[in-house]
Amino acid sequence: MTTIGTRALMDDIERDVRNRLRRHILKRGGAAEYEDEALFERVRAVLGRAVDERNADALLLPELLDSDVEWELQTHLRLTTHRPVLGRVILLVKRRLLLPMTRWLFEYSQENFRRQQRINAVLFACIEDLAIENARLRRESKR
Amino acid sequence: MKLACVIHRFGADIAGGSESHCRVIAEHLAANHDVTIITTCAKDHVTWKNHYPGGESQIGRLRVLRFPVARPRDLHRFMDISDLVFADRASPAEQEQWFRENGPDAPELLDHLRRHGADYDRLLFWSYRYYHSYFGVPLVAQRAVLVPTAEADPLIRVDALDQLFALPAGYVYLTPEEAELVKGRVPSRTPSAIIGCGLDPVARPPDVSRLADLGIEDPFVLYLGRIDPNKGCDFLMRNFLRYAGLGRRIQLVMAGPSSMEVPNHASIRALGFVDDGVREALLARARVLVMPSPFESLSMVLLEAWNHGVPVLVNARCRVTRGQTERADGGLYFRNVAEFEAALDYLLDHDDTRRRLGAQGLAYVDREYRWPTVMAKLEALLNQVGSR
Repeated sequence: MTTIGTRALMDDIERDVRNRLRRHILKRGGAAEYEDEALFERVRAVLGRAVDERNADALLLPELLDSDVEWELQTHLRLTTHRPVLGRVILLVKRRLLLPMTRWLFEYSQENFRRQQRINAVLFACIEDLAIENARLRRESKR
Repeated sequence: MKLACVIHRFGADIAGGSESHCRVIAEHLAANHDVTIITTCAKDHVTWKNHYPGGESQIGRLRVLRFPVARPRDLHRFMDISDLVFADRASPAEQEQWFRENGPDAPELLDHLRRHGADYDRLLFWSYRYYHSYFGVPLVAQRAVLVPTAEADPLIRVDALDQLFALPAGYVYLTPEEAELVKGRVPSRTPSAIIGCGLDPVARPPDVSRLADLGIEDPFVLYLGRIDPNKGCDFLMRNFLRYAGLGRRIQLVMAGPSSMEVPNHASIRALGFVDDGVREALLARARVLVMPSPFESLSMVLLEAWNHGVPVLVNARCRVTRGQTERADGGLYFRNVAEFEAALDYLLDHDDTRRRLGAQGLAYVDREYRWPTVMAKLEALLNQVGSR
């Protein structure tokens, strides 16, 4: 008996899902360019590569933005003080009293910040993939 | 040989993947070697609270040495330092502190390794991410064999691991994908083996009448393991409810301890921890086993499903489970909700293909994952480590 290949089955299923997605987007008034099935597939492949294959921790754009990471979402709460004596008491109150009381709000915000950070990373990855595609096409057009 | 298996927690009632792997490998090693389990008193993987009595005990052929956890895990502190470390903003000292905060913090276990490490011919450490491996491997590096159980999560990229991964005398990997993830940081001549885990053939048809006692009816899709957001269970439950809402009569049965809320809905049945009899009966009757986890080093439940001829549906973003499924030709995978629904539809609508995928999975287990095959690879590695 011949083997049924997982990849072959998945190729059929993925093609079917892509076609349904394309028709769904067109039906809802999406880009008319997607009437062209091959063009839609090319766009989907570029964006899909950015989402699935790029390592969000190793992107070029965040490295170029700024080295002091002021643009980056700060999900970590770091309690510090500049007061040498009173500072310890203030920190103790913040850590032992205020932080436990407001922890629910901090965690709620933190979860949403994490989601935003994930979206940012995906968008950075998409831009990077488009830039790579652009650079490659420019190089090929010059040959 | 006198062997030690060092693991963060140990017990027959513990559902974790690396813990189960350690237990079954240790039991098989004990057929030919003198095996000691070196572990903590913890049972709960979240708090590491002491549960088992400390000291020496005997479980079957295994001598078990348990050491107390000095302090339970402070989750807030752990989450805070995790944010720093995973965002690549942590200093080397903060990275090391992460391993302390992750725990289980058992200094007496390290003392034992320091004082008695040389009494063992080889010490196998499971899971690089826990305190016992990070701080224990350097104490006995020349005799240490690391079973990293590494996953493609943010921790694997932390710089502090360069030092750790350079130390062990040997490596045991569970899949080619895991080996790929770690090997770049391991000295090239370090012996290693990809062993996976062994399974016995299903001896006799399980007693499926127990499913009726639990109110489980055909057809159902099965999830086996910890019910946890890190295992992709939030995706699975949310989208299975949506799928069932489209009109198909199908139930999702989830068997395993839960650390998250399970929706109270007729389409989802959560059984909690189940005994081996129920587990076997579920595997015998399931149409499909779903594994939505994005991070795995080896999915034992995939092997168990194939052992029963059940095809699987896995998360394509997890290289390991996708790799296993493709090598076995034993199921399908999904990247998003639309593919999840389409792949599940396909498996439930094509009985013949579904059965053949399950049978191909079983043939793969027969080829690669029977105990004699797995233990021969491990024994060869242990001998190779010693002859260096």
